[in-house]
Amino acid sequence: MFRNMKRKRYTGTKRSLLLLVLICSLLFTACSSKNEPNAAEGANGGTSEKPVTLKIEVFDRGNSPAGYTITDNYWTKWIGENFGKPNNIDVKYVPVPRSEEVEKLNVLMASGSDVPDIVFTYDPNTFNRYAKQGGLTDLGPLLDEHGPNLKQFLGEDVLSYGQFEGTQYAIPAKRSNLGKYASFIRKDWLDKLSLPVPQTTDELYETLKAFKEKDPGELGGQVIPLGMTIASAQYEPLIWSFIKSVSEEERYTLTQQLGSNDYPILLPGFKDALQFMNKLYNEGLISKDFGLDKDKKKLGEDISNGKVGFFSEDDINIYYENGSYDLLQKNVKGAEIAAVDVYTNDEGKHAKPKYAPNGLYIMIPKSSERAVEAIKYLDWMASGDNLFTIQNGIEGENYTLVDDIPVAVENQTEEALNRMYNAGDMAIISNGKQLGSLEKNLKARALQMPKQFHEQVAVAQQIANADTIDPVLMDRPIEAQTKYATTLLDKFNEIIVKMTMAKPDQFESIYETMIKDYMASGGQAILDERTEVYKEMQSK
Amino acid sequence: MSAIAYLRRYWQLYALLVLPLTYFIIFKYGPMYGIQIAFKDFNFFQGIHRSEWIGFEAFREVFGMRDFYLTLRNTLMLNFLDLLVSFPAPLILAILLYELKAVWFKKLSQTILYIPHFISWVIIGGIVYQVFGTESGMVNNLLMSLGFEAVPFLTDKSDWLITYLLVGVWQSAGWGTIIYLAALTGINKELFEAAGIDGAGRLKRIWHITLPGLKPTIVVLLIINLGHMISIGFERPYVIGNLAVREYSDVLSTFVYRIGIESGQYTLATVVGLFQAVVGLIFVLGANYTSKKLTDESIL
Repeated sequence: MFRNMKRKRYTGTKRSLLLLVLICSLLFTACSSKNEPNAAEGANGGTSEKPVTLKIEVFDRGNSPAGYTITDNYWTKWIGENFGKPNNIDVKYVPVPRSEEVEKLNVLMASGSDVPDIVFTYDPNTFNRYAKQGGLTDLGPLLDEHGPNLKQFLGEDVLSYGQFEGTQYAIPAKRSNLGKYASFIRKDWLDKLSLPVPQTTDELYETLKAFKEKDPGELGGQVIPLGMTIASAQYEPLIWSFIKSVSEEERYTLTQQLGSNDYPILLPGFKDALQFMNKLYNEGLISKDFGLDKDKKKLGEDISNGKVGFFSEDDINIYYENGSYDLLQKNVKGAEIAAVDVYTNDEGKHAKPKYAPNGLYIMIPKSSERAVEAIKYLDWMASGDNLFTIQNGIEGENYTLVDDIPVAVENQTEEALNRMYNAGDMAIISNGKQLGSLEKNLKARALQMPKQFHEQVAVAQQIANADTIDPVLMDRPIEAQTKYATTLLDKFNEIIVKMTMAKPDQFESIYETMIKDYMASGGQAILDERTEVYKEMQSK
Repeated sequence: MSAIAYLRRYWQLYALLVLPLTYFIIFKYGPMYGIQIAFKDFNFFQGIHRSEWIGFEAFREVFGMRDFYLTLRNTLMLNFLDLLVSFPAPLILAILLYELKAVWFKKLSQTILYIPHFISWVIIGGIVYQVFGTESGMVNNLLMSLGFEAVPFLTDKSDWLITYLLVGVWQSAGWGTIIYLAALTGINKELFEAAGIDGAGRLKRIWHITLPGLKPTIVVLLIINLGHMISIGFERPYVIGNLAVREYSDVLSTFVYRIGIESGQYTLATVVGLFQAVVGLIFVLGANYTSKKLTDESIL
């Protein structure tokens, strides 16, 4: 017995001794991952030369229908047929789980030899870090030589987001629509209480109170007047509407970009926003557990169960088939949600952030020997009908053209539906459908939703594009942001949760300590660097 | 016996050791090569070897971070409280089980007590949020329907601490009894009988026979636990923790995850790991030394 114990204990000590190697061993094991059997090897009959292999990252959302895998499905075959064969390229896909794209990409990049030829991320800090560490291929000359269609498709403005200190290290995907958020209210509750649609933040407060006191949904104390989470779609519209108008200099220097969004923590008005949230919370107008809801799952449930009176969300998120609105209508008879624009700033505008014109940062690692083929692949996607086909499928089976806009065919066959499950993740050069103009893009976006929501989606999209605040683009990447963004984003969310839940008499003191901690943990470094870069930009 | 004759006679015993030794060399000592990351400006496009040496610069940076001290404090605090609450629990449970006479009931309760050990923390986290949520958790729904105020088990830091500790006991206590129960089988039954004849009651027997019989095991386990004071599992604080209680739930392992895996600052993460390893070693040796002096029980 005692000997057994001894043995156990040795293992234990060793484990504690070697905890540090957690990270290192991760790097080591990474080398041994991924080596898929090559089914297509030698199947290329037409050409005498051996085809070269092009490896491309692909997001895996774990939603492949039966018969398909993320690396072998309709579109991988279609691309192999239409791009691979004529160019004598064997296209292979390397799956990366969507939910841990940055972590997995770090591991892939560190593995050196096994890294795909085309990788991408949404996180500008990850892109900047790779570029700074010298791990990426300079794409400028390659684009000039092999990517004329791609260059034309993206345009100068979008391409400029992929530059690092003047060098084109990434190809940013183009967004088809820059609007982000709209707000939504239970119209049937308003009607029941004979209340008008609130037009300002103050009116909203009164409406929320009425929802709580008069309980139009007859929920018996379970009502959540304002649906809140700790995801940006819920708190950003509220917070940004409290930000006061500022000079250009303040906008550049006081904004903090953590990840792909700008955060107003240092801008005047931020504290007022928190104070408003604190008031709502302490009066029971926000869910007590909102700080636990990171992925909006709880909010979605509460909306579809008819508990929530008002909330902000990505403009089209609630309208999907079997989405929260669809389910709400099934659960609660007569429930009606209206898209509204309520939060108002000091200028009387419904200010809310919008997307930067770029989506994914598409990169080619320096170690890749297939950079030319990679650019050819992206250029091929941008040319002719290729992007359109991937995004919309087959005419007659997936869509029909109405006024040049593809409209989803109703009651599609299962085969046709399954075909499209990963179309968005294959069309990496674009976020959203590209039809030539914003108007058409928005229309197509609305038409992909269930028919009964078409009109409302259009309203919500209009709201999302109204009074938007542009992201701040600095001349060069802010190193402190690359370094501290993850930590500070956590702290920012913590500040929102703690300040909202604080007892009103403790608000001031907690606010002060938390901001101090934020500044000391990297916020000050970002502020200093942005001020410096702004000065450089002015003196030019 | 000459060395050759010795080897010829016992070579099988050494051959048996080859496999475990290989395991330790490959998976435990091999990765130590990576320790040098702590002293280099690690750039994974260059690899460990070609990254530049920076001396102790990364250590200075880590020791200057506020989050480092916060997470260090939380790690020590959570581990210390865990030691107070979770360490005695399996011991008490084991003694209770040992005293049971009905074998079927003993077996049944043992199995039920083990089960939580096999549930992953991610799932436990999900269950905890369903059960202890302030607004929709089962416990609070019950409390509120009985007319009590809802208790913020997960969002108030002191309440969260209690939730954290008790969930730990629930998960690990049953499993922990195995070692004690095994040790208990080693106690000579005659001692109990003799004590019974001499008039010792149940409590006296536990105090004078069972506990002294378990003493070596308790000491060994205590030393192991002390060695782990500075290191903490990642899953439990990460899954049960949340933004509202980050002041307590942010620990060294989540800190390493954030700066290492999430922000890609491997050098800093390695520094923290190395720091944990060194302090952990000091704790083990210290505890072992003290134990040797005080009780004559030790593991080295």
